[in-house]
Amino acid sequence: MATVQEKIDDLAEKLEKVKFGGGEKKIEKQHASGKLTARERINLLLDPGSFVEIDQFVHHRCSNFGMEKVEAPCEGVVTGYGAVDGRLVYVYAQDFTVVGGSLGEMHAAKIVKVQDMALKMGAPIIGLNDSGGARIQEGIDALAGFGNIFLRNTMASGVIPQISVIMGPCAGGAVYSPAITDFIFMVKNTSQMFITGPQVIKSVTAEEVTSEALGGAMTHNSVSGVAHFAAETDEECMQQVRYLLSFLPSNNLEEAPVVDTGDNPNRTDPGLASLMPDNPNQPYNIKDVIASIVDRGEYYEVLPHYAQNIVTCFARFDGQTAGIIASQPAIMAGCLDINASDKAARFIRFCDSFNIPLVTLVDVPGFLPGTDQEYGGIIRHGAKMLYAYSEATVPKVTLITRKAYGGAYIAMCSKHLGGDQVFAWPSAEIAVMGPAGAANIIFRGDADAEEKTAQYVEEFATPYKAAERGYVDQIIEPSETRPRIITALNMLQTKRETRPAKKHGNIPL
Amino acid sequence: MRRFKVTVNGIAYNVEVEEEGATASVAPAPIVRVPVTPQQPVFSASAPPASAPAAPPIAVAEGDTPVASPMPGKVIKVIAKAGDKVNKGDVLMILEAMKMQNEISAPVGGTLKSVNVDAGQSVKPGEVMAVITA
Repeated sequence: MATVQEKIDDLAEKLEKVKFGGGEKKIEKQHASGKLTARERINLLLDPGSFVEIDQFVHHRCSNFGMEKVEAPCEGVVTGYGAVDGRLVYVYAQDFTVVGGSLGEMHAAKIVKVQDMALKMGAPIIGLNDSGGARIQEGIDALAGFGNIFLRNTMASGVIPQISVIMGPCAGGAVYSPAITDFIFMVKNTSQMFITGPQVIKSVTAEEVTSEALGGAMTHNSVSGVAHFAAETDEECMQQVRYLLSFLPSNNLEEAPVVDTGDNPNRTDPGLASLMPDNPNQPYNIKDVIASIVDRGEYYEVLPHYAQNIVTCFARFDGQTAGIIASQPAIMAGCLDINASDKAARFIRFCDSFNIPLVTLVDVPGFLPGTDQEYGGIIRHGAKMLYAYSEATVPKVTLITRKAYGGAYIAMCSKHLGGDQVFAWPSAEIAVMGPAGAANIIFRGDADAEEKTAQYVEEFATPYKAAERGYVDQIIEPSETRPRIITALNMLQTKRETRPAKKHGNIPL
Repeated sequence: MRRFKVTVNGIAYNVEVEEEGATASVAPAPIVRVPVTPQQPVFSASAPPASAPAAPPIAVAEGDTPVASPMPGKVIKVIAKAGDKVNKGDVLMILEAMKMQNEISAPVGGTLKSVNVDAGQSVKPGEVMAVITA
């Protein structure tokens, strides 16, 4: 009979063995393909030494097709918890070296366990995806596993931040867990996401496409908008996830951590006065404004490569996290189109879920006209933005730098959608439509139409008409934008606003 | 009173059923079978009616990078010309759209193979305005 000491030694041996996943050969192969192993990734993601692994001995119970002979250390997924900047997070990392990271019944059960824990304890969960997909041998038990994960993703949505990182293949049903979560990171060249792969596409539609072009990191970051962030390597990706987490609260009942950035809240910037071109038809880069007004000029863009006519980013004002939504006049005139509306609406809803105040910078000529847009449902997609802003109860501060016309003016967090403080620069033009166009309608056929139009532009392409009605709270000098926004955000800290009790609204999806 | 023909184990029975409280017999509503044919769209997005004959699309050779119009607008100024060496980010032309003089810049560095638009020309979204070769 084994002594107690022998049993203790046996445990140590067993734990040591599972650490090597699919064995040294498979690990070498993983490294050769430019990828780190599940455990290496977790160690980079979490504070050193903070990772606590659970469920090392979970084993599949599939006996079909010879699976009873297959050893799958840790069931192909490493799960547990640890800390990022000292704050609790839950993590799971699929291990591609073990049965291709394929998802079976017990693999899914391990993920579900940490999902349940994360929700119960109110801490973010980060999923590192690197899997060949469903473990076919396990049949519908694998599908049940996926379903259980999706359900929990949805339950946890808006309660804890959920971050998905794609660090290898992620195909078929597997894509929908990341899709339900709040943010998707992808690593360039080593990660792909698609519903059906290149072979299936070729056999069904004869279309030829590489897996990178079909579902690579930049495809999803710039074309489809499925992924929010792209990283060059696994290491850089883990750093980016840590950086994103630094802006977020742990759950929907907490506030984001306040960071001492050392930037003076009363700092003014005379440079902003000369940033705006005199000609309203000249573009400028809104990111120059963002960099000037936020703490230390530091901001983290969400979806930086997609729908660049609107900028969404996290930044801090006097140490407090805010979500910034800004028209970008340098790209497509900063107009609102289908993709921009979609991008902004989802970002607004994330911020509102997690008590992150919204700062909106407006220079918008309108919604993009055209058959593409109308056929694509700009009405439905644009409505998401109006809905998201109206629904949001977090502090909402708006700054109109220049154009704010028509429906797009309303959509960009105007007073009417509940903007708590609306500022305007003297260069603002707030009107029912472009002044020249409006004058064309009003004075059509008049003998002195030209003179009247000039007068109309002078009178109506200003912030003063809106200020007369109280739609703009303050017209401010550009240089003092930062202190004004910070003062407003501080004033709004105790904002309490409730909506009628309901099951949930019906956002136009 | 309603009459039914019921078949049990291959034997047909004629049965009469009376609904309690029914004052008059009600004829069952006839079931109208509607043939299922795909509905023709009133008009299809792929072939909008009364569209002007489309200009032949500009062929972009393998490896070349097209500079496509991001939105409908009017080219008001062409800055670069065919044969010019351009760096990524250089402004090639100004496209006036949405009341803005949008700078159209080179997506990649290289040599400008062709400029396919003139000042004053209207462009549709996606229209190839220039081609850059590496």
